[in-house]
Amino acid sequence: MARSRKVGSHKSGGKKKNISKLWKTKRRTKDLDQIHDDMKPGVAEKLLHQEVDYDIAGNAQHYCLHCARYFIDLKSLKDHFKTKVHKRRLKQLSETPYTQAEAERAAGMGSYIPPKKLEVKTQPLDEEMK
Amino acid sequence: MRIEKCYFCSGPIYPGHGMMFVRNDCKIFRFCKSKCHKNFKKKRNPRKVRWTKAFRKSAGKELTVDNSLEFEKRRNVPVKYQRELWNKTVIAMKKVEEIKRKRQARFIMNRLKKGKQLEKEEDIIEVKKNIHLIRAPHAGKAKQLEDKMVQKLQEDVDMGEES
Repeated sequence: MARSRKVGSHKSGGKKKNISKLWKTKRRTKDLDQIHDDMKPGVAEKLLHQEVDYDIAGNAQHYCLHCARYFIDLKSLKDHFKTKVHKRRLKQLSETPYTQAEAERAAGMGSYIPPKKLEVKTQPLDEEMK
Repeated sequence: MRIEKCYFCSGPIYPGHGMMFVRNDCKIFRFCKSKCHKNFKKKRNPRKVRWTKAFRKSAGKELTVDNSLEFEKRRNVPVKYQRELWNKTVIAMKKVEEIKRKRQARFIMNRLKKGKQLEKEEDIIEVKKNIHLIRAPHAGKAKQLEDKMVQKLQEDVDMGEES
């Protein structure tokens, strides 16, 4: 018998995410504009070099800045950089974030300024690589 | 009192309507209806959702840069009440609105003209490519050849008569 091929859902790993919980504002994950704030020079370094916290996955030592996720070790972090999820996130971040000011401009309060392209790259893995 | 604009669809929010969401970093988001709020919760980008004003503006569907759009703004300076000023402002608002509407309508009509032109060009190409379906490629060729032969013979005959 042929194996059933369900394409498009990554649920085979056994980790089933509840969509209705994802859409609640309780325990809301970071929005794109918050990540844009995180990407600013001073803040980014702080997030990438966090103190050891035993409550967070991987003791908060392996953090993906763009996806706002903690990984258990360097290998899984590196693997994550190669995934579609991460690449898709980089693409979403490659535009100036949407703001209330833009919403108002779109509503006819002043001329509309189109969003600008930004270059977003995966965080460098410096001394940890060696 | 202020008529706010929706974060998601840019629609007006009158007092007592819609809802407000305050994120854990104190940023305020206002939504005109539950549809907008739900879409926000799903982390959709208003620029990518086709029914929002932000989409229509960023995709070039509507007038984006114009002087008539510069009147309505968030001015955080209160003006002292003057009856005359108020009356004039109301008249001016109506006038500005009328001009704005006209310009927006004209922009859309001009935008649609381009499509019509492209359609016409495409139609011409299609006819040129598929003309063989209506008319055989060599239709009428035989008749033309025959006419030519007759003409040539006539000429030859004429020449022969002259010499």
